[in-house]
Amino acid sequence: MNLFHYFIQEHQQISILLLEHIKLTIIAVGFAILIGVPLGLLISYISKVSRPVLMIANVIQAIPSMALLGFMIPLFGIGSVPAIIVVTLYSLLPIIKNTYTGIESVRAQLLEAAKGIGLTGTQILFKVQLPIALPVIMAGVRVAAVTSVGLMTMAAFIGAGGLGNLVFSGIRTMNNVQILAGAIPACILALIVDAILGYIEKKVTPKSARKNTKPKSKWHYRLEILLNLVLIFAFIGVVGYGISTTYSKDDKKITVGSKDYTEQSILGNLIAEYIEDQTDIKVEKKLELGGTQVCFGALKTKDIDLYVEYSGSAYSDILKHPASPDVELVYETVKDEMKKDYDIDVLQQMNFNNTFTLAIPQKTAKKYHLSTIEDLGKVANQFVLGSTFEFLNREDGLLGVQKFYNFTFKDSIPLDSSLRYQALQKGDVMVIDAYSTDGLLKKFHLKTLEDNQKFFPPYYAIPMMRSDVAQKYPEIIPLLERLGEELTDETMQELNYQVDELHKDPNEVAVEFLKSHNLIDK
Amino acid sequence: MILFQNITKKYRTKKILNDITLEIDKGTLVALIGESGCGKTTLLKMLNRLIKPTSGDIFINNENIKNINEINLRRNMGYVIQNTGLFPHMTIKENIELIPKLEKKEKAQIAEKTMKLMEMVGLVPEDFLERYPSELSGGQQQRIGIARAFAMDPEIVLMDEPFSALDPMTRSDLQDQIMSLQAKWKKTIVFVTHDMDEAIKIADKICIMRNGNILQYDTPETILKYPVDDYVANFVGKNRIWSSPEYIKIKDIMIESPVTAIDSLSVSRCMDKMKKNRVDSLLLLENETKKLIGIVTAKKLRTIEERTQEAKQYMQSNFPILYPDQCILDALKMVKEENVSRIPVVDQDGYLKGLITKGSLVTALSQQYFDVEEE
Repeated sequence: MNLFHYFIQEHQQISILLLEHIKLTIIAVGFAILIGVPLGLLISYISKVSRPVLMIANVIQAIPSMALLGFMIPLFGIGSVPAIIVVTLYSLLPIIKNTYTGIESVRAQLLEAAKGIGLTGTQILFKVQLPIALPVIMAGVRVAAVTSVGLMTMAAFIGAGGLGNLVFSGIRTMNNVQILAGAIPACILALIVDAILGYIEKKVTPKSARKNTKPKSKWHYRLEILLNLVLIFAFIGVVGYGISTTYSKDDKKITVGSKDYTEQSILGNLIAEYIEDQTDIKVEKKLELGGTQVCFGALKTKDIDLYVEYSGSAYSDILKHPASPDVELVYETVKDEMKKDYDIDVLQQMNFNNTFTLAIPQKTAKKYHLSTIEDLGKVANQFVLGSTFEFLNREDGLLGVQKFYNFTFKDSIPLDSSLRYQALQKGDVMVIDAYSTDGLLKKFHLKTLEDNQKFFPPYYAIPMMRSDVAQKYPEIIPLLERLGEELTDETMQELNYQVDELHKDPNEVAVEFLKSHNLIDK
Repeated sequence: MILFQNITKKYRTKKILNDITLEIDKGTLVALIGESGCGKTTLLKMLNRLIKPTSGDIFINNENIKNINEINLRRNMGYVIQNTGLFPHMTIKENIELIPKLEKKEKAQIAEKTMKLMEMVGLVPEDFLERYPSELSGGQQQRIGIARAFAMDPEIVLMDEPFSALDPMTRSDLQDQIMSLQAKWKKTIVFVTHDMDEAIKIADKICIMRNGNILQYDTPETILKYPVDDYVANFVGKNRIWSSPEYIKIKDIMIESPVTAIDSLSVSRCMDKMKKNRVDSLLLLENETKKLIGIVTAKKLRTIEERTQEAKQYMQSNFPILYPDQCILDALKMVKEENVSRIPVVDQDGYLKGLITKGSLVTALSQQYFDVEEE
């Protein structure tokens, strides 16, 4: 999809998010001014507290924004409140510092003159100190505001909304156009805010103190902001894609790949350890490569020989068929077309289906007597959904399931990965989307609702192997089939749980599992 | 008008002012002068209560300033400081009108006053009122500073080294300005300076301070002529008086007991008297009143044959005179213009007080060079 096209098509959503972004930024910067200016004044009057106050502001500034956002969840929950608090905290330093510097820059002699001609303390503050310091204070506000616009995109991480929604959901769904649709307005907004505040800054500078700024330096400054923002977004993008890998060949050797999350990492390790133990083939691991496109690309280019895909992903994301809930159809189509179009062998489906599901706390399940999505549909208008960006935006996600079961949630709040569980714990949301093998389901003892009318597409794990490799090492195939039989939804939840929550090493978890199921020798 | 009574100021253990008592009369310009750290600025700032004395009281018009509201006290007292103290973010107009506006004076009245003040300090209002301080030269800024100090028509104006940052030409201009203002308005001005020339030029009285004590408080003339001790003499500078020759009075340099004769004396007796006293002229006094009536010179009398006649007939009765309070410059001018070599000094009633001759002038003038050589 073309970016311009996307802007036209989604202009309504983009402008809503943009307005939301502006609103959040204004509120945050407004609070930062209300807190920062008086604090700056305070520390210029009471010099004893200036060091600790500036130090605290510095420390806050030094905390990574993601960490600070995460830290806010247990204190303030999710949504715009914690986001505004975080952005306010970040904006404080430049405002406090500049207020302090501005007030301190008023010459002592001038203050004495003011006192000497009979101004009261308040009059000195409002008629002399603040007006003289105002240009410096405004410069601080300007820095704070421009930073806030950028920072506010992070706030989508905890469900505050704004342009970050597009960026994050673009990263999750590997949709570059969507990332840009969020990032470009944010950049432009930052530049506009900078220009407006720059103008105000100039207006409040007394004529006498104005300098002729060289246009070159002004553009240089603008360019710098632009570059910074581009870098930030580029960085986010790169993290989303992961890194490319090197390639090497060996006679009796295969390379196992995986996507970049826990379950895939465990699967990669299971396969690698199992094959290595049971055959004389040397296995090289290239795990946590990236998303579907990266792994599939690597398989085609022979960077890897084997990885585990999911039937639904292969069916829709790779082969571009509209999602279907039919397990057999999906599997057979994938198997045929992979062989035909890409010369890739799709092995037998493993026993677990990592599809979307909806999860609720056990007590909610009891209270409302819920065991299926159909049950949930009857009371859904009382339920707030905490959802990943991906689920929220997919046709085979929230949109589809609501349409299919014919219900609407009271509200749905976009949230990132594990934050959904915390929000559920806190009661900020009542139901979340989940992957059926997610370890957190086990940790929080959540009830997964059965997709009794079969809406969600199947995402059974399917080992995919290039045909040349399958022919060269046919002994691998029965091993993978055997392994697939052992891996059920519950087993995968358990394994994911051990890595995600008990912080065990995926390789260690894999080896332990293989040993305990007598798949490998001790 | 202003009375400092036993003012002492201590910072911790350091004494800045030591039991100062000082009275300043209404309408006088008093210069506080001394080396840095002598306490002059401290003393000044006590007047508008920027600094509080450790002990002692200050009275203005017999009212203890402790009992006056600080803000009112300051608003009714002009204050001019070094480097102007103008507010850089306000126009000239806003600077001058700041306090009158805060005092809720009538707008038309304020505007009129501002015009007058600008005129008073010699600046064209239209050219300056809407400009900012930094657009003005140092001298212009300080003129505005003075205008602001006069905005509330204060009885008392405090000036804390107002001209010390200006170049000599501008400084001199502003000193003239202050003098003409003072001649017209007769404010009570307390003026801190470290420049003796400035103090002598503009002050009615000078208060010389050192280490928190007043060494001498007197008119410039007295201080120049009669420094109380070596420190003051040194501080004033021995030859300082020669740069202010108006302070060298006739009475200081005249011959105090010139040779005189009563008007009935004969020519021969006069000649004898001149010879005896080695002078070439005699001042004739009227026998009964002792008032000066004329001068007879040896040159004239020598030509007379009949030496028994009264010398009075041959005296000059039309001659220039000087008064004791005139200064050396008047004498020099007279000598040059009238081409006379001797000028009697008389008081208002015509009694002889002394005599100025070319010789006595040379003696007086040569003193400065001998002083220099002695040093």
